[in-house]
Amino acid sequence: MNSAPIIAEQLARHFGDVKAVDGIDLTVNQGEIFGFLGPNGAGKSTAVRMLTTLLRPTSGTARVAGFDVVKQADEVRRNIGVALQDAAIDPLMTGNELLELQAVLYGIASNKMKERASELLERVGLTAAADRRVSTYSGGMRRRLDLALSLIHQPAVLFLDEPTTGLDPMSRLTLWEEVRRLNREGTTVMLTTQYLEEADQLADRIAIIDHGKIVREGKPSDLKRTVGDPTLLINVSREHSDAASGVLARFGEMRPTAEGTLGVGLRGGAERVAEVVRALDEANIVVEHLELNQPSLDDVFAEATGYRLEGADNAPQAR
Amino acid sequence: MSTSRSVGILATRSIRNIRRLPSAFFPALAMPIFNMVVFAGTFFAVTKIPGFPTDRSINWYMPLGIMMGSAFAGVGLGFTAIRDIETGFYDRLRMTPTSRLSLVLGPLTGTLVRVVMMTTIVIVIGIALGARFTGGVLGILCLYAAALGLSTIGAGWGLGLAFIFKDMRGAAIMQLSIFLVMFLSSAQVPLNVMDGWLHTVARINPATNILRLARVGLVNESNADHLSFNAVWGGIVAIVVMGGLSLGFALRQLRKLSN
Repeated sequence: MNSAPIIAEQLARHFGDVKAVDGIDLTVNQGEIFGFLGPNGAGKSTAVRMLTTLLRPTSGTARVAGFDVVKQADEVRRNIGVALQDAAIDPLMTGNELLELQAVLYGIASNKMKERASELLERVGLTAAADRRVSTYSGGMRRRLDLALSLIHQPAVLFLDEPTTGLDPMSRLTLWEEVRRLNREGTTVMLTTQYLEEADQLADRIAIIDHGKIVREGKPSDLKRTVGDPTLLINVSREHSDAASGVLARFGEMRPTAEGTLGVGLRGGAERVAEVVRALDEANIVVEHLELNQPSLDDVFAEATGYRLEGADNAPQAR
Repeated sequence: MSTSRSVGILATRSIRNIRRLPSAFFPALAMPIFNMVVFAGTFFAVTKIPGFPTDRSINWYMPLGIMMGSAFAGVGLGFTAIRDIETGFYDRLRMTPTSRLSLVLGPLTGTLVRVVMMTTIVIVIGIALGARFTGGVLGILCLYAAALGLSTIGAGWGLGLAFIFKDMRGAAIMQLSIFLVMFLSSAQVPLNVMDGWLHTVARINPATNILRLARVGLVNESNADHLSFNAVWGGIVAIVVMGGLSLGFALRQLRKLSN
């Protein structure tokens, strides 16, 4: 039997005629950060709600931490940590009180509770604010507390549902660093996001979900490679422009660029940059500027779905 | 996983909010006091009806005020659950491995503490306004038992509706149903002075039995209900049966939240 911490097979959830999640297959391996990428309404959160036992699948199966999400829901709950969208925290409670509540509900012994809470508060930088009501916290502080709450029982698998939505860049970077640290310590992380950069920066592998279906899955670098060759951009002096075009054309298909810049889809990728430079040098062409642009995840997304994630609010809604 | 620890911490959260959110507690305290004072003052002549169980209107309306307050404190738990569902906090609770029973019993325990506080304050004010416990300590205990029982029934009903509707649509049904159940009972006058369909409905309404239990220590010593076994037993059976059904309803709807 596959021992991966998260396995979904033909997992589906329908709301009437709407297929929010339409039969997805998914495997997240031990120790991975897995990014689940898609626009609003694509089915990310619905999939996470099924994997975290909050929602029953209409059909299909899923196992998390080795347990069936329907038949062994309590076992799943014992082994996962979840930080959902919008940091669902009671604003009337303090950070300490919330950690205590969470610890008791997870059955952590009273003598270990305080130590664990202090450790987590320190870890997320909230020790000084621990006795303040959450209503006085900033958005970033709430997210960090939410993360601390999800870690109280040292879960093997951590689900983060759009953890940085609405955060300022600094808070976002802090949270990313914490996610990396947790992952280095052995926690398997499944992260949903609509931010390409977040998926690119954090995830070992990603799945792109659109209209409830997974349309691409793999390592970000591999997925980008499938879109096409990287574009090599070169600036040369005006008198060498035609000659340089001739040289570049030997390495791939010329691509449209801004005026004064030459671009070529570099067959073979980054490894061939040195070869291009040598060829230009042999042709006595002086290179003023050189830049290699890899295809982005947005290119991957566009190729898979027919529209771009940036500005995806105009994308067709889930069926 | 200790259910009692979970119940305790969830009850603590609820009780703590009395201090942190007094705007939610004080109206719930003011309403039974208002009901008691206004009804006892307005309908003081009701005691002149031949065979009326007490010669003091406040003895009749103080338990009604407490029962109304207890019922609304109970369904108020439904409002709290709706707020927690809407903010997502309830998802956090549901994602923990604690028993589903503790998710119901914890907040319920907090509500029962509120009901004890409210009942005590209304009793003190009632006595200051002339109420007399003809049944002594046993009568007072019966009033507390009825208040706690009715709030448990209201809590189960309120939670169940909250889990069905998941938003404030459930609130109107909660309030309307409490008004109907309370006023289609012996809330205002005893069964023997009712007639027609109202008498029939009140006779089968379990709230009538619970109100009888609440009043066994406040009716005249000469009245048949005064600390009577029938009145006490009937009220307790109504509480156990209706409480069991309403909590069962709440648990069932909680489990169906994932559907």
